[in-house]
Amino acid sequence: MLYDKIMALYHSLTQQDFLTVITLQNDSDGKGDYIAKWEHPTLAKPTDEELA
Amino acid sequence: MSSMILSGDTSGTVTVTVPAVAGTNTATLPAATGTVMVSGNMPAFSYYQAGTGATLANTTNTKITFDTKEYDTANAVSSSRFTPTVAGYYMVGGCLTLPSVTTGYSVTAIIFKNGSFYKNLASGQSGPANYGTSEGSVLVYLNGSTDYIELYGYQYSGGGAATLGVGVGTCFFFGCLVRAA
Repeated sequence: MLYDKIMALYHSLTQQDFLTVITLQNDSDGKGDYIAKWEHPTLAKPTDEELA
Repeated sequence: MSSMILSGDTSGTVTVTVPAVAGTNTATLPAATGTVMVSGNMPAFSYYQAGTGATLANTTNTKITFDTKEYDTANAVSSSRFTPTVAGYYMVGGCLTLPSVTTGYSVTAIIFKNGSFYKNLASGQSGPANYGTSEGSVLVYLNGSTDYIELYGYQYSGGGAATLGVGVGTCFFFGCLVRAA
């Protein structure tokens, strides 16, 4: 799952981060989970390669 | 039955009819400008999951799909998306039940408008003797052409969690027009 892949990259992320500065989304259209918002003040948004 | 026929601006007519009635009755029009609402221009819908549940990934806003129509007076729902053709203020809401959410974690149903977060509904927390359930309703303006709403769900139990789709009363999505624009 996308959440697990992100947590494997950034262990310091908290549940609060996913409620405020990061939003994961799935539109049930067959395209799967994706990052809808990434506004973390210090951590860069993971690249597609990092999440592959 | 007596009738009064009004011509449309460019074509067509509107017929106001009074059925056979007893006694004297009065229908009072308010001293205000607006659109008269009748059942034909007041969409209402209700959909639910009868057997096909959805799985919500951990901490991921997930669109909830509904496989069964209870009613949809204006046929305004397609692919679990409500897009009414009458502009106005709609009361919309829903309910999500997730039996597999670990005790102590919450479930939140969310109204999305035009593909983006709009408002949370009341979160519910699972316990030893109760499923995690979130439900509620909000008022939302829809423009009657391009605006649409959908129901999403969110949970953070640590793993995926499936909705309980067993009938009309556990996972559902509803709405109706309460005031024209």
